[in-house]
Amino acid sequence: MLLKTKKLMKAFGGLKAINKVDFELPKNEIRGIIGPNGSGKSTFFNLVSGVYDADPGSYIEFDGHDITNEPPHKVGELGLARTFQLLRLYQDMSVINNVMSGYHTLVPYKFIDAVIGRKKIWDQEKVIKEEMMELLSFVGLADYAEMNASELSGGQRRLLVLARAIAGKPKLLMLDEPAAGLSPVNVDNLMKILMRLKEKYGLTLIIIEHILKVVMDTCSKVTVLDHGEKIAEGTPSQIKDDNAVIEAYLGKKMDDEEMRKALDV
Amino acid sequence: MEKFKEIIRQYPFLGFIIAFFILMAIPSIFFTDLYQSHLSSLIFINIIVAAGLNIVKGYCGQVTVGHVGLYAVGSYTAGCMFMYLGASLWITLPVAILVTGLFGVAFAIPSFRLEGPYLALATLGGGEAIRLFIENGEFFGSTYGISSISQPELFGITFDTPDKYYYISMPIMLIAIYFSFSVLRSSIGRAFMAVREDPISAAASGINVKKHKMLAFILSAMFAGAAGAVYAHLPPGYIHPNNYTVIEMVTFLAMVVFGGLGHIWGGIIGAVIITIVYDLTRPLYEYQLFIFGLTIVLTILFMPKGIGGFIDKYFIDRRFKKKQGVASK
Repeated sequence: MLLKTKKLMKAFGGLKAINKVDFELPKNEIRGIIGPNGSGKSTFFNLVSGVYDADPGSYIEFDGHDITNEPPHKVGELGLARTFQLLRLYQDMSVINNVMSGYHTLVPYKFIDAVIGRKKIWDQEKVIKEEMMELLSFVGLADYAEMNASELSGGQRRLLVLARAIAGKPKLLMLDEPAAGLSPVNVDNLMKILMRLKEKYGLTLIIIEHILKVVMDTCSKVTVLDHGEKIAEGTPSQIKDDNAVIEAYLGKKMDDEEMRKALDV
Repeated sequence: MEKFKEIIRQYPFLGFIIAFFILMAIPSIFFTDLYQSHLSSLIFINIIVAAGLNIVKGYCGQVTVGHVGLYAVGSYTAGCMFMYLGASLWITLPVAILVTGLFGVAFAIPSFRLEGPYLALATLGGGEAIRLFIENGEFFGSTYGISSISQPELFGITFDTPDKYYYISMPIMLIAIYFSFSVLRSSIGRAFMAVREDPISAAASGINVKKHKMLAFILSAMFAGAAGAVYAHLPPGYIHPNNYTVIEMVTFLAMVVFGGLGHIWGGIIGAVIITIVYDLTRPLYEYQLFIFGLTIVLTILFMPKGIGGFIDKYFIDRRFKKKQGVASK
């Protein structure tokens, strides 16, 4: 198992944002997480990536390491990358610098070498830059490398965030609504990139997404959250017909008797 | 020319050696009186402070208004070491750098929890506290200041006049710029920028936010310490608590903001311009705080990236045009 949580809990005051979620994810899987707004999907991401501290009794394991309540940068160093729903791009940095800062944990040289400014630093920087340019052309942003990130369009920003997350060569990539606000053409493009990513880098992916097409077409398994609890898990086709899921999204199915009562006729 | 550029890009220190020889030649060609040498030394000292301030404020995005306190720590470490031990610049400079680096740690701690104007207030308090502590301490010469601090000797020459001291302050300034240049061009500089732009997403990329904030504060404190020590030994070798007030802080800030936050060369150009303006406006002492405060406000309103922004824009435009030219051919 690459990622495992046991009795994961997080309460904000009286609200149980995540309530005893057991989650297991094997390697090389694309997992979708769906659920209505406020069901705790993003909180789940924040707990796993260390942005929030989990409540006592929770346990999170990643790649054989206990990462419960580890600070985010430690989790990042272990090879867990994530994107944010609000993107959190480095607005005032060039596109290439955005991606290169994602490579931070893999930079081979030491601090003292950088201070002295030895020649090998510049050589290694050059190698890193070339590698990152390759990554940028992979997502289709190579022409914009020197531009400021704030000058990109919405769709390009989403791709840049994706590129920055892959730059550190993670084992697990968690995407928080990667397709939100994209046009249908761009959604298809994004899905293609995701599938190619998985093949090229051997990534494991978790995707939170509201566009069901993305979830149904790319994910091999789907976990459904509602009110902080896991209500279903299975292949996309199983999930589509799951009563609990339909209930969570659309409400309860009523028979004629109940309907009459509800409408009071 | 292209080949020359390529060599400089590969061995940046060659550029600094060339700059060294050019700056060596300048006094004998252009300077007509001692005061110009004195002013140049002041410019060099301010460049060191500005380069340091640019690390913590421009790159790491931590609003510190207490930097003048660190500058004072550097000066008074040097001053006190001279007063009690008779040490020369060659000993006081490294000690001042180390001691100020330690004070930098103290300034970094509030930045873990505070942000923006709140951090500014905390560091402002820290800087003022250092000045008041010095002003009221008998040990530090209190309001009398420390006078006739010795000038350094090297190869049998005593650098005791402004025109000679130029040759001390200038290489130290170049070394400082070189260090800031190489640190900021490496992955550490990028990590600083990432912390400035978005600490949460920086942490998600595996960047230790606290460590880098601490590093930025220590590095910039070391620059301020070096500048302070060089200032203390500047002929006639006199330091006084009044040299480390809020006015000085505002001029330091004006240098970095006017030159361009987060731009290595911009900060240096800003230091040169603001130091000269500061000197020219000395007769208008009462209005200096107003002038530099206004400079900061107007710069932020009308050219938020300062002079550095214009430089960047020029080069990016040129590169873009070149690319377009290649494409159309």
